[in-house]
Amino acid sequence: MRLRYLTLIAVAFFSAFPLYYSVVVASRHNSALAQVPPPLLPGGNFLANVSRVFDTVPFGLALLNSFVVAGSISVAVMFFSTLAGFAFAKLRFRGRNAMLVITVATMMVPAQLGIIPLYMLMVKLEWTGTTYALIVPALVNAFGVFFMTQYLSRALPNELLEAGRVDGCSTWGLFWHVVLPAARPAAAVLGMLTFMSAWNDYFWPLVVLTPDNPTVQVALSTLASGYVNDYVLGLAGTAIGTLPLVAVFALFGRQIIGGIMQGAVKG
Amino acid sequence: MRHTLDVRVSPYAYVAPFFLLFCAFGLFPLVYTAWVSLHEWTLLSETQEFVGLGNYTTLLADSYFWNATFNTLSIGVLSTVPQLALAIWLAHLLNRRLRFQTLFRVALLLPNVTSVVAVVVIFSQLFGRDFGIINWMLSWFGAGHIDWAAGTASSHVALSVMIMWRWTGYNALIFLAAMQAVPRELYEAATLDGASNLTQLRRITIPMIRPTIIFVVIVSTIGAMQVIAEPMLFGQSSGGGGGIATGGPDRQFQTLALFVYEQGFANSTFDFGYASAASWLMFVAVVLVAGINFLITRRVKGGLV
Amino acid sequence: MTPRIRRFGLPLLTASLLALATACGGGADGGGTAAESSAQPGEKIKLTIGLFGDFGFKPLYEEYKKTRPNIEIVENVTQFNDHHSNLVKRLATNAGAGDIEAVEVGYISTFTAQPGKFTDLKQYGLDKRQADYLDWKWQQGLSKDGSQVLGLGTDVGGLAMCYRKDLFKKAGLPDEREEVSALWPTWEDYIATGKKFAAADVAGAKFVDSPGEIFRAMVNQAPAGLYDAQDNIIVASNPDVKKAWDLSNQLTQEGLTAKLAAFSPPWNTGFAKGSFATIICPAWMTGFIQEQAKDSAGKWDIATVPGGSGNSGGSHLMVPKQSKHPKEAAELIDFLTSKENQAKVFKEEGTFPSIPALYDDPSIQNFTKPFFGDAPIGKIYSDAAKALKPQHLGPKEGDVRVAIGNGLGRVEQGKQTPDEAWAQVLEDVKKIK
Repeated sequence: MRLRYLTLIAVAFFSAFPLYYSVVVASRHNSALAQVPPPLLPGGNFLANVSRVFDTVPFGLALLNSFVVAGSISVAVMFFSTLAGFAFAKLRFRGRNAMLVITVATMMVPAQLGIIPLYMLMVKLEWTGTTYALIVPALVNAFGVFFMTQYLSRALPNELLEAGRVDGCSTWGLFWHVVLPAARPAAAVLGMLTFMSAWNDYFWPLVVLTPDNPTVQVALSTLASGYVNDYVLGLAGTAIGTLPLVAVFALFGRQIIGGIMQGAVKG
Repeated sequence: MRHTLDVRVSPYAYVAPFFLLFCAFGLFPLVYTAWVSLHEWTLLSETQEFVGLGNYTTLLADSYFWNATFNTLSIGVLSTVPQLALAIWLAHLLNRRLRFQTLFRVALLLPNVTSVVAVVVIFSQLFGRDFGIINWMLSWFGAGHIDWAAGTASSHVALSVMIMWRWTGYNALIFLAAMQAVPRELYEAATLDGASNLTQLRRITIPMIRPTIIFVVIVSTIGAMQVIAEPMLFGQSSGGGGGIATGGPDRQFQTLALFVYEQGFANSTFDFGYASAASWLMFVAVVLVAGINFLITRRVKGGLV
Repeated sequence: MTPRIRRFGLPLLTASLLALATACGGGADGGGTAAESSAQPGEKIKLTIGLFGDFGFKPLYEEYKKTRPNIEIVENVTQFNDHHSNLVKRLATNAGAGDIEAVEVGYISTFTAQPGKFTDLKQYGLDKRQADYLDWKWQQGLSKDGSQVLGLGTDVGGLAMCYRKDLFKKAGLPDEREEVSALWPTWEDYIATGKKFAAADVAGAKFVDSPGEIFRAMVNQAPAGLYDAQDNIIVASNPDVKKAWDLSNQLTQEGLTAKLAAFSPPWNTGFAKGSFATIICPAWMTGFIQEQAKDSAGKWDIATVPGGSGNSGGSHLMVPKQSKHPKEAAELIDFLTSKENQAKVFKEEGTFPSIPALYDDPSIQNFTKPFFGDAPIGKIYSDAAKALKPQHLGPKEGDVRVAIGNGLGRVEQGKQTPDEAWAQVLEDVKKIK
């Protein structure tokens, strides 16, 4: 038991270290990067560097954009994935297996493959430079559908669905009253993972947005740009771009994790 | 009658949002790219000449393409195999009543929250040749001064560590979510029978979460085949030189995705025809590797659904 | 339970969601095609200017707004490589480019080769500025046939050599700038000095950061570089390129380089640590060093570059055709590149003017920087710019450089002999279309 805790503490330490270290560097001068041994405690310049970040780029707008984008994508992905996952896992219909295979296959499409055609599409829709260009193509994804399919096929007992049918539920009624509650733990995890990957998406926003209406990652790339590599500025941006996310997890982590615990459906 | 209609039609309605959006934002770019790959097509030229499979034959004779394929597979194996084993083990450790449960889980997610830019900047420092902490620690054991970015094997190890660091916790939580659905009674019975922790993991947990394992293996394979940000940023921040997308001066860590990026976006030619052909071959490679992994994982018994 | 209503809920939701998104999607300024100024007098106009670093323009915008209260200027800064590749994408798709875009000299021929994508600044009378400019800098901004003015120059990168006085002193070498300049009239002398420096074995310091930028400088000093006047790549046949290659590799093989590629983080660290004693110094580099190595004020000084003068770097400002306010954009370019303003920017940022009338101006001639031990940087870079022989740049300069830089890197990392690396460089260069 003690070994278990020691292992987990070690893992937690390694997981947290780079983020912690970026806070350390962000609170110092650029010269800190050259110190041997490297400084391990925060210095006194954090707020000064953060205010430099806000002076250099519209970081408030970037945070807001990132929250709106990641938030709407997560909600949509959770909902649509549960819906499709339910159909794939528990309903019988012609072409189901073929469609599921196609879904999985779509995950294999390299993301960079479609950037130019997708960009042209956004130009046609007049969405370049707006967050619609980030949100709409990401409202669903194969990962989510596959994830929920796999989860529901195992965790949702058929007896429960049959009981629902006997009670006179339509398919939609089953989804609403049986599937959604049962899917909650996995949907919460999916939502969280989706939120993070949307938050950290790097290439597509860089192409389709301009620095005057950025997401956090676009603003970070602006911070790291130019002839001068101002890493303190870049890592200060990283720290304040990441800490809100960490705060959200620290606050709501219990609910999310609690959801996982409750979700131990007896099969 | 209403009932039959409901049962027959609603499944299609439920999967429709996914397929509609996918057609618009996934399939169209894919098909368009295929069309482009059959042309001599640069982003700058006004006209495009149809060349059939010309780009593909050039590509198959391009040693840099095969080099990138090798690197992708090497980094993929080095990062994915230990990562998944570690993730299952961590999930297993967490799948108990524990104090600070939430804290540990949040900690596991931290690497994935950290921006990839920061990850690579910091890891490049850790793996630094002159002032890196890792070389400093290795020097205690008399091991010399490794120029991590310069060597093929050493750069693959460094990149694999970055990728593992970022994704192990993420996968562990996916496994954990699946493990929570395994009935507790099974473990209780096994404990009564005197089965060890490891035996329980092997005999109960792994078989019970097989669909999730298949899922994670496939997703991780796909992810590993598409690695781009890490080698690209590592190339820029390691001090070893080389073009922005060449993955070191000897292309020692250029992955397939990075090769595509180099051809399509980093060269001033913006050779989109060639890059599209490379994307398509990469797509085929991803399908092959993921398919093989799927078959291997499935042989361990159990189905996709 | 009201299953019937809910059953239809989803498709409706989806449909309305899409409708909503479509309805709200407007408002971006994409898809612009017409290149005409629609602005009424007094109407508020927003000009966006896309840069790849700090050009030192910010104080100038404030000044500009005083006389043009209706102009709002938004500066978009993107990382060097992303900036240029995004610009290509935005030109190709006819959307998303700024009203003004900066283009670095390595890319200028790529863009002037597509005159249809940019506004001819002659339309707005900017051809009158020709007399101000260094002739070659002006020529670089013209369309290939010379009929259109597509870009106006900002700065030029006349060459000098920056060196660490303290490290030279430790190595027992002279450390005054005239004496140091006298050490290396030629690159061979530079290498010989390097060997002396290495022999003194100064702890933790090499003679030079890496051969890459040295190679670039040597090629830039030659009458012809990577391209001939007809835009043919002449890497394989130009003896000056091969000579630069051999000398650069000699630096590596004598163990004189710190193996730190320019602009990488370890290179930055190298600045702070004093890991290298000399670095090739185009004018804009002085601003960089000052910013990057704040703690080493007074330790750096500037000497002349071996082998005569040449140009490294510098930029142009261009107006994409898709701009909705080409007239106002052209006026702003005229302002930002004016004689007075180029002088101001030089004093702040170190980027050196491309206007020769300034080179003999006392305020430039007598300009010194305390950071570099009061080195007369105005005089040093004026002399460099005056002595500069223009060189023809081809459309794929950047790609050819990457291919050669990779070759130098392979030698530096001990992967190949110089001959093997050269053979591969020639193969790579052949593939560049």
